[in-house]
Amino acid sequence: MIFYLGKIFKAISQNAVQTLAPGAVFLFAYEGDLMTRIALGLTLFCVIVISLAFIRYWFFRYQIGADSILIREGVLKKKQLDIKFKRIQAVNTTQNVIFRPFDLVTVQLDTAGSAKQEGYLPAIKSALAESLKARLRDETRADDTPTDEETDSTDASRKILSLTNFDMVRIGLSSKQALIILALLSPLLDNIGNRIKKMVDESALLTVLDNAGISIAGGVSLAITGILLLLLLLAGASITGAFLRYYNFELRAERESLRSTAGLLTRHEHSVSLNKIQSLRAIQNPMLRFFKRFRVRAKQASSGKRTDEGKQFIVPLCDLSQLPQLGAAVFADEFPYLNLDPTSSKWRPISRSYIRSRLVLFGILPTIAAVSLFYALIGNAALIFLIWLPLCALAVITSYRKYGYDIVETGVMLRRGFLGYQTTAFLHRKIQRISVTQTKLQERKGLATIRFYLASGSLRLPYVDFNMAKDLRDYILYKVESSRFGWH
Amino acid sequence: MFENPEIAVDDLPKAETVEWQDMDPKFARRKLAESAIAFVIIVLAVVILQIVFGVVLADNGAPRLIRTLLLAPLVLVVPLFAWPLISVPKKGYAVRDKDILYKSGVFWRTVTAIPFNRIQHVEKSSTPLDRKFNLASLQLFTAGGSGGDLQIHGLPARAAEKLRVFILDKIGSTLEKN
Repeated sequence: MIFYLGKIFKAISQNAVQTLAPGAVFLFAYEGDLMTRIALGLTLFCVIVISLAFIRYWFFRYQIGADSILIREGVLKKKQLDIKFKRIQAVNTTQNVIFRPFDLVTVQLDTAGSAKQEGYLPAIKSALAESLKARLRDETRADDTPTDEETDSTDASRKILSLTNFDMVRIGLSSKQALIILALLSPLLDNIGNRIKKMVDESALLTVLDNAGISIAGGVSLAITGILLLLLLLAGASITGAFLRYYNFELRAERESLRSTAGLLTRHEHSVSLNKIQSLRAIQNPMLRFFKRFRVRAKQASSGKRTDEGKQFIVPLCDLSQLPQLGAAVFADEFPYLNLDPTSSKWRPISRSYIRSRLVLFGILPTIAAVSLFYALIGNAALIFLIWLPLCALAVITSYRKYGYDIVETGVMLRRGFLGYQTTAFLHRKIQRISVTQTKLQERKGLATIRFYLASGSLRLPYVDFNMAKDLRDYILYKVESSRFGWH
Repeated sequence: MFENPEIAVDDLPKAETVEWQDMDPKFARRKLAESAIAFVIIVLAVVILQIVFGVVLADNGAPRLIRTLLLAPLVLVVPLFAWPLISVPKKGYAVRDKDILYKSGVFWRTVTAIPFNRIQHVEKSSTPLDRKFNLASLQLFTAGGSGGDLQIHGLPARAAEKLRVFILDKIGSTLEKN
């Protein structure tokens, strides 16, 4: 019964939009006074939603078999899903406020290479979800470690990190969304400021001439206050978002997997088995740099689509001392000398030729083109495009400095960035294919660009020594072709 | 017993010492045929624009810039026909016991290596034009699907089929070993 209720609630939220459309059409068509219209509309809406929910619930069936999960759903279009345990990359559960008193969770099963969440079990008992997770854990372990007697003693989960309320504020302030909103709004804010100033100007001119200065100053300060207020509001929204999503964040390492739990209203539980992780990335944008913190992403195999956000395991915030711990939790002892700290001295620089080629390609050539093209139209004013040159030089040199790499016996570490830093580490054996590219200039200088293709995406290492690139390629091919372990 | 003998980097099999297999010489001709078709279409488009709208050559008030732009495709002829002759000889592939190598590119010369034990599946395809020249292309898929999968165009149809079977065989044998 509870199950059924939960399912209905779920379906209501899912179907709300679809069912609203015919209801609205009916309301417009029906002739009568407003109250009856609304009453009729609401009743109709409820009836449709509930009956739809009930039908959907009725036709949703799942079955947990010996080595796979079978899901059958659909009313008119029947759909049957058969997901093998072995192919499951990660299990995520969410529990929203409605489900919490009933002890229900929604389970999502990630498989490799599809953009959407594939398996989806709405509203099942949390105990069942737990047993399902345990099953999957056993499945992956039985697959890869033949010697599990030794590891049995470490069965208990180990807490790696948890986040405080103050950390929520940091997450909120450094989130990408906050930055994007700011960037989008800044021209708008400018506009508003200008308009206010203009308005004040005009009114000042029209009314009293002698205290015009004061009203302009007043207008400007008004605009600034407005902008600040908006900023505060945005920051507040972002921080609230962080609280909702990451409140009480806790990361635990289990025998063969990582598990995180977080959330204020809806509890999210995310777990991923370690051997499904393709690469580990530490990100530090300017805001995070200010806080001396990192955001860490453990990427899984993906279809390369932009919508693959779900295919990564996110640790929203950690500090420098926690990075090695996280690395050790992900790679165990397979990755010696793992270093994700962007400021360490171990990073090897790429060739300086990078600066020259980028400057020619993005700086000098476009400038010449722009100046010569616009010279005919606007004359000497076209020289304004020369401003691009120092800007471009600055950008190229910054990004050159941020590039770095380090190679150890079992893996590669890459660093790049522009305003912030991004460091990525992955194991040789996770590489799917590798390409070495040379341009004419690189050929003369004995340089090459390496591209590593992982199941989670590709990574580029530009302008390194050609012989080193060749040796690395041969070594990685040897590693991949002789490895006892697969990539998944 | 697990062994882990030390390996000197110099002793590793070198990918650059392989003997590269060239693409089928017919591939260049196929590309030229493609260019010819493209050219015919462009010319037809310009001619139709001239006959129906009279905008290309007649001085009927259409801005000079547009008329020049319409004639621009005619300049494309040279690269359209020269490019296949330059790019096709630069392409090549090599099959080793454990991986396949593919090189391409005129200005950006790329050598890509795919180990057989990372290939998910293989797809052979041929367009009508390919079939006319008895060619086929092979697409090798690895997991993740990022950055496009490796495509080898312009293989002789027989060789493509043989390579397909060979690679599938290799995938199968690595699966059994694991």
